[in-house]
Amino acid sequence: MTYNPIRFLRYIWLYRMLVITCLAWLYPMALNAQTSAQTVTTPHVSTSLVSERDGIEAGQSIWLALHFDIIDDWHTYWQNPGDSGEAPRIQWQLPTDFTISEIHWPYPQRLPVGPLMNYGYSNEAWLLVRLTAPDKLAMQEISIEARAEWLVCKEECIPEDGQFKLTLPVITTGDNPASVWADRIQAIQQHIPQTSPWPSSIRLEQNQIKLDIQLNQSSKAQLQDVYFFPDQYGIVDHAAKQAYTLTDKTLSLQIQRGDLNAQPLNQLQGVLVLSERLADGTITRAFAINSTTVTGTNLQHFFTILAFALLGGLLLNIMPCVFPILSLKAFSIIKTAAQEPVRVRRNGFVFTAGVLFSFALIAGILLLLRAGGEAIGWGFQLQSPVFVMVLAWLIFAMGLQFSGLWTFGENWMGSGQRLASQPSYLGTFFTGVLAVIVATPCTAPFMGTALGYAISQPAWIAMLIFLSLGLGMSLPWLLISLWPALSKYLPKPGAWMERAKQALAFPLYATAAWLIWVLAQQVNQQSLLYALLSLVCIAMVLWFWQNTRQASRAWRITAMVTILSLAGLMTVLAWKLEPAATMQTTAQQSWEHYTPELLSRYRAEGKPVLLNFTAAWCITCLVNEKMVLGTPDIQMELRDKGVVYIKGDWTNRNPAITRVLEQYGRSGVPLYLLFPSDPQRQAIVLPNILTKGIVQQNLQLLD
Amino acid sequence: MQRQILSRHTFRTILLLSCLIIATSIANAAVTVGKPAADFTAVDSNGKQHILSQYKGKTVVLEWTNHDCPYVRKHYGSNNMQSLQKEATDAGIVWLSIISSATGKQGHVSASQANELTQSRNAYPTAVILDEKGDIGRLYAAKTTPHMYIIDKTGKLVYMGGIDSIPSSNPADIPAASPYIKTALKSLAEGKPITDNVTRPYGCSVKY
Repeated sequence: MTYNPIRFLRYIWLYRMLVITCLAWLYPMALNAQTSAQTVTTPHVSTSLVSERDGIEAGQSIWLALHFDIIDDWHTYWQNPGDSGEAPRIQWQLPTDFTISEIHWPYPQRLPVGPLMNYGYSNEAWLLVRLTAPDKLAMQEISIEARAEWLVCKEECIPEDGQFKLTLPVITTGDNPASVWADRIQAIQQHIPQTSPWPSSIRLEQNQIKLDIQLNQSSKAQLQDVYFFPDQYGIVDHAAKQAYTLTDKTLSLQIQRGDLNAQPLNQLQGVLVLSERLADGTITRAFAINSTTVTGTNLQHFFTILAFALLGGLLLNIMPCVFPILSLKAFSIIKTAAQEPVRVRRNGFVFTAGVLFSFALIAGILLLLRAGGEAIGWGFQLQSPVFVMVLAWLIFAMGLQFSGLWTFGENWMGSGQRLASQPSYLGTFFTGVLAVIVATPCTAPFMGTALGYAISQPAWIAMLIFLSLGLGMSLPWLLISLWPALSKYLPKPGAWMERAKQALAFPLYATAAWLIWVLAQQVNQQSLLYALLSLVCIAMVLWFWQNTRQASRAWRITAMVTILSLAGLMTVLAWKLEPAATMQTTAQQSWEHYTPELLSRYRAEGKPVLLNFTAAWCITCLVNEKMVLGTPDIQMELRDKGVVYIKGDWTNRNPAITRVLEQYGRSGVPLYLLFPSDPQRQAIVLPNILTKGIVQQNLQLLD
Repeated sequence: MQRQILSRHTFRTILLLSCLIIATSIANAAVTVGKPAADFTAVDSNGKQHILSQYKGKTVVLEWTNHDCPYVRKHYGSNNMQSLQKEATDAGIVWLSIISSATGKQGHVSASQANELTQSRNAYPTAVILDEKGDIGRLYAAKTTPHMYIIDKTGKLVYMGGIDSIPSSNPADIPAASPYIKTALKSLAEGKPITDNVTRPYGCSVKY
């Protein structure tokens, strides 16, 4: 092969070109690796993909954000842009096995445009996402790519887009440094709606949605602004004003329905933004709301409930406490039917009237109590230890009756029979009333849910449900009095009834056992012992009662005194039921009541202290406790770090607390102070809106 | 005799007043699908007057537009709007493109500019209505450009909402979207009920 100098020079030239080209490619890549953000700048926004950390560890979840720096007077949009506009969109390209969350949208601003309303962000916008790394990471670094499209508007609108790339080194040392964006990303998390801690419901009224939120003890809260941002277009009229009222228990919003009002609305999802005026300024918080319709135009649903109530009432007749009466009544009907068919028929109607009257009366009382502000939902009742105790007594006593320790039915049934055999219609009416009274204890364990549902409805619906129950209960009587021949299909009373009754005692004992278990969650051990003893008292009282019935006068007086004193003792014990260390939802919340002495003692002992000044009327305070401070993970962290948690209740303006508030330049609650163990060091003042992240970060500062 | 004339006069006044009241109440219900559409009188880019009620017997499409809005450009740039217009007007449907941009605001045009736009874009509306005071826009609560309304032959509002189902400014999304207007006009022609008769309008805000 001959040597060709020209060809050699050409190779050199090609080689050099290749090197230059490669360098030209590599240079910007090297630059990229060093920046934690890549920015796309347009005339209206400067948009960057940023991370809260400068690296990523295996198995770690970190916050990323697409941050829009928007020029004055222009805005971008929220997930529901309102009357016009468009929400931004991001498409991700992730390394293998990485996952990324949906966008966490900070709550938006209202942006009125002429007669229209938009929801969006001016000045700056943050779209947060959570990036999760797989448990095993073989790479040295990862790169996240995103393509985003957004609309930016003043009056006119410009659709823009950008391609972003974020490169993060993989950290294996366990020390992933916070980036320069960390603080701002942390701060914006306070704007991400939290799941609402309160139950809520919606009612549809003509062209309005009434959104009820059960904030308890909040009537003294000072709300400056309340606004509901719906997640989707067309559900509400965005531009219409939203009126609200705040009563003792409920915050009610009246929201005008939107364009798509012909569609059924079973669920309302969106973000409720509350601005609460507190002594030291206004605090705005956002809550994710997901409410279902309780009642509305859905008649079918309503009739289904009525039908079930009717069926439930019908079933009451075969309940052990009612069935014997029914049989006796049926016999009396059969006896008289042949002679006086008209009279029997009328008696049937009068009896039904008696039953309905009693049910209406019970419903009326319950509704009145509800109107008076009592919370009567059946489930809620079980949160009251005294109620649970009384219910357990009742069920236990019923069980003892079924077992045959005492009889109470005979008398009642006897009187029912006596009244039934009386010729007067009044007698029949009261038989109806008595049947309901006798049936009531039987309903408690079985009908609880249905009654609880009825009570949560508007008054007239609750009343109709109760009347349906009554009608169901009196239906067999009504039918038998109309067609007396039907009674031959009833089972004949006999010895089997006594055995059946005895067998039915066991479900009742089981119910009582369950109630005591419920009680055990609510009270301390001492009180639980009283509660169990009170059941023994119940058994004694009933035994006394049963065995002194035919006794001499002196005996009976002695017995009655004993019964009354035992009953008194039980009442006292019930009232003395002490709540367990926790009245909150968590099982073991350990906090102590604030006194200045307590605080100085713990400080002198060198213990770190978290001091929480709160008030029952401060929504912000209650939310912080419920969503952050009272949660099991924060409580656990406090215990692990040996932090004493002290709560000061300022509901009634305690002067000792006021002094501390003043010392920290505050004129009101909330105030959160974290005292390090070193008595010389100053307290860390936590922000008024707490997130778990903020508390955890500050707890780390104690070390 | 005199008294009789007077009372007749009073009677006519009352009749007129009640007509007015009825007319106003209809106007308030202008944006309810299934209810009579509110009447309006408007002047087009050629100076011609259009009264909605005079189009009884014909189907009328109202299209709110603003030629500088990216969402309007999406549908004109892709020829989607023009082909809809042509299909409709060929079938004897009255298509009114309405510009409610106020003087000085984006999308506001003079009569001659409006005609130039129609020509340059090969658009086929029956007429382009100039509504710079925004009266018709407010009457129909038009929110976006485009925002579409269909009024049937009896003068009843039968559709309001978007032109299609994908709210974006990207023309590439048009083929995948449900073409609400096309479908609605087809159902109307076949005498079938319109299934999606209230939908989300999307686009730029109307520049009132």
